[in-house]
Amino acid sequence: MSKPESTVFVIDDDASIRESLKSLIRSVGLHAELFGSVQEFLEHKPADVPSCLVLDVRLPGISGLNFQNQLAQSNIPIPLIFITGHGDIPMSVRAMKAGAVEFLTKPFRDQDLLDAIEVALQKDRLRRQQEVEKSDLKLKYESLTPREREVFPLVISGRLNKQIAAELETSETTVKVHRSQLMKKMGADSLADLVRMAEKLGISP
Amino acid sequence: MLATEAAMQHSYDHLQVALSVLIAVAASYAALDLAERVTATSGRVRAAWLAGGATAMGIGIWSMHYAGMLAFHLPVPVSYYWPGVLGSLLVGVVYSLSALFVVSRPEMGTLRTFLGGVILGCGIAALHYISMAAMRMAAMMRFDFGLVALSVVFAILFSLAALWLALHFRREAKDQITLKICAAAVMGAAICAMHYTGMAAADFFPSSTPPDMSHAVSISSVGTLAIAAVTLVLLALAVLTCYISRQFEAYARQLQKLNQQLEHHVEQRTAALEETRSELARMSRIATMGELAATIAHEINQPLAAVVTNSSAALRWLAGQPPNLQEARQALNRSIGEANRASEVITRIRALFKKATPELSQLDVNELIREVLRLAGSELVKAGVAVHTNLANDIPAVLADRVQMQQVLLNLIMNSIDAMSAVNDRPRELWISSAADAEEVSVTVEDSGVGIDVEAAERIFGSFYTTKPHGIGMGLAISRSIIEGHGGRLWAEPRSPHGAAFRFTLSRAGNRHE
Repeated sequence: MSKPESTVFVIDDDASIRESLKSLIRSVGLHAELFGSVQEFLEHKPADVPSCLVLDVRLPGISGLNFQNQLAQSNIPIPLIFITGHGDIPMSVRAMKAGAVEFLTKPFRDQDLLDAIEVALQKDRLRRQQEVEKSDLKLKYESLTPREREVFPLVISGRLNKQIAAELETSETTVKVHRSQLMKKMGADSLADLVRMAEKLGISP
Repeated sequence: MLATEAAMQHSYDHLQVALSVLIAVAASYAALDLAERVTATSGRVRAAWLAGGATAMGIGIWSMHYAGMLAFHLPVPVSYYWPGVLGSLLVGVVYSLSALFVVSRPEMGTLRTFLGGVILGCGIAALHYISMAAMRMAAMMRFDFGLVALSVVFAILFSLAALWLALHFRREAKDQITLKICAAAVMGAAICAMHYTGMAAADFFPSSTPPDMSHAVSISSVGTLAIAAVTLVLLALAVLTCYISRQFEAYARQLQKLNQQLEHHVEQRTAALEETRSELARMSRIATMGELAATIAHEINQPLAAVVTNSSAALRWLAGQPPNLQEARQALNRSIGEANRASEVITRIRALFKKATPELSQLDVNELIREVLRLAGSELVKAGVAVHTNLANDIPAVLADRVQMQQVLLNLIMNSIDAMSAVNDRPRELWISSAADAEEVSVTVEDSGVGIDVEAAERIFGSFYTTKPHGIGMGLAISRSIIEGHGGRLWAEPRSPHGAAFRFTLSRAGNRHE
């Protein structure tokens, strides 16, 4: 089986619900993986593709809401969609505040769930893309020489080459070379581009 | 011859006079104290107080007299004829007894008080003159009748004053010791006035005839002091006894008061507890129903959700290009499976209600009705419902589960209360009646509430049917299943002009065939 483009994980202790969800998810061409408990899910090594988690609030062992906190604390940023047989407003407020994509009460409309899954996968995709961009930027940043890294914050602060040279006690020409190397290595088309990158990298002028 | 003779010179020992006054005051104080005690008690205790009090008081007065007589010094030695001395003591005790008896009477008219005063005055005068007659000496006594009469008047006035004071004290001053001491001082002074007037009425003349000294005793000064001391101790004891008795009585009263308070507290607590208990019973009933409803909801909701999801999936498989018939078939099969599962849950719940095997015992439905009315009492009062019972005599016992029957009856009553909560234009009334025929015993609960129409009369027994904003619609369904579990019937009919009637029947204990 080839690696799917995305995966929807389902955690529900009711096998028939799991099966029906799998069928529904598959009917729109998505890949689903089923788990009876949080434990089972954690033991599983998920493929590194955009994914989301559909889970029941009432689960054996740890509750869905507590699991949500646990994921947040472990820095696992998978988008969550809650389904519940007996949802109340405080419960859904808590889930949504903690970043859940959707909170659905069983029985739910199929379209509502599929929409939520679509939003969740899109969210994860975006996050992954940002993640890739960020690590890409990091790689680029690491390729800079110590002197270029020194020049970086000074450049984005909008200083002229002359000013930078004075600050670093070097010639204006040397700074010019550093600057062009910096732009090239970072792949920045303009100063504005470089500023955005610095922001993502957490570099402040 | 005698008249020309000069009377003997006499003198008073002032110390002994003072002693006699002290004894008089002490005796008066004891008398007032005792009178109050005698009044406060009854029966044998009262008799004991009368006897003891009269003895102490009698000795006190008697002793005062002798102290007064011994303070009187004549130039000739004086002895006393002891039977006379004893007689005067007896008169003193009898006098005290009657005095105490009179003042401790519950009601005293003016005339009675007056007569009592006269009699007591004569008694005290008698004591005085008997004791004077007991004197044996080489002298003759002659009386000034004016002064004798005056002394008797004093005695009577003193007795009246004493009676008045005693009556006054037994009514009011319980603890006004100062006032009591003042009164005692007045009384003591009166006694002394009577005594010394009596003494002044007598003149003593020397006589050559030797006195008849048979049965005569001489009383020395030491003897006087001894008599006075013993008397004072005796009176002190009497007062102390009074004091202790009063304290005991005060403690008893306090104890009684505390007891009453305690009882009051217990009553309040019991009432509060009763209220809590009935509230608790109501809450637990609601809680059980709520839990049951939640469980049922969850049990049914799960397969229902699966049915919906599977069916939706099937539609999507069919809508595909080309339609995936195999997937659609599988999803629909799962739907059917889940629908069956939901149905099984319902069957299981029904079985659960039926399975609760009742604990059968011989039950008097009238007793049951009274029990449940007690349970629902506070609710009925709170809802302003008047209850009428019409219970048939000699109703035969039924074989039923007491708790379940209570549940059913309580449920019917609670429903009636709810049905009448919106009724304001007519009295809220609840009628409960029992009846029996050859086969069955029936109980009817009727109310003047909003009532039910004929079609609803059957529908209300369905599960989850409710007309109440917070009801879950299981009460009547469960009630009917309980009654049917007992082989009986439960149904409802409209009542004219207002309200509804619920009736259930149960087989007579001997007639149940199962």
